[in-house]
Amino acid sequence: MTQEISIPGRYDRIIEVCKFVVGGAEQAGFSNDDLFKIELACDEACTNIIEHAYGAEDMGQIRVSWQFAGIAFTITITDEAQPFNPQDVPQPNVHAGPDDIDDLKIGGLGIHFMRKLMDDVHFTVDRNGGNRLVMTKYLVS
Amino acid sequence: MSVWEEQLTGDIWLVGVSGRLDQSQTTDLEESLQKLLIEGCNRLVIDLSEVTYVNSGGLRCLVTIWRQARDHGGNVVLCNLSDRISQVFAIVGFDKVFAIYSSRVEALESLAGDQAS
Repeated sequence: MTQEISIPGRYDRIIEVCKFVVGGAEQAGFSNDDLFKIELACDEACTNIIEHAYGAEDMGQIRVSWQFAGIAFTITITDEAQPFNPQDVPQPNVHAGPDDIDDLKIGGLGIHFMRKLMDDVHFTVDRNGGNRLVMTKYLVS
Repeated sequence: MSVWEEQLTGDIWLVGVSGRLDQSQTTDLEESLQKLLIEGCNRLVIDLSEVTYVNSGGLRCLVTIWRQARDHGGNVVLCNLSDRISQVFAIVGFDKVFAIYSSRVEALESLAGDQAS
């Protein structure tokens, strides 16, 4: 089972991707807790594309597909942006305290969320141009 | 997302938020809080009980507001986070950054204590 959607790279359109992917994950039988994690991971992935790969809104399309095979729910997200290296995004400080508020770097939270919320996350540069992100969540009973 | 404000006591204000707290929805919240700060209301309790969703854009908004309040000599505390919203804060360690209370009363007492000390 595979489904696909394409949206313009705008923050206010990301919710369409979230609904589309969560709908698929719901059909696959994921719990509400997992649906929330999948939604947030997709949201952060699309946000990252607009913010880091395209660099601004309305710079290109975001294509999203999901596939459910066996126990693997796989989400593939592609863009037409310049090559994006996740290593270039600074690591967030996830051990900060109240006194760190003035120096707290907010960048990098999106990738951290994706890695924490999904079971597998792979970034690759597409040989035909653009970037490809593949995230998988396993349905375990 | 919708935002409302209520004076709790003296210069301490409650800001309530409902719905999705993400970067496409934070303008109302930022405008509301900017208005309060300009009016000198810089000690804020933000009640997130009706927030159903938050992402990194929403967290960024809260950090920005807190910094601005501190720049004005004030403070920001949060209260009434659902389990799901608490989970999002915990994933990125923001549960240790923000002062988070389980009720408005506790949050208010904390801010009032700041003033007393």
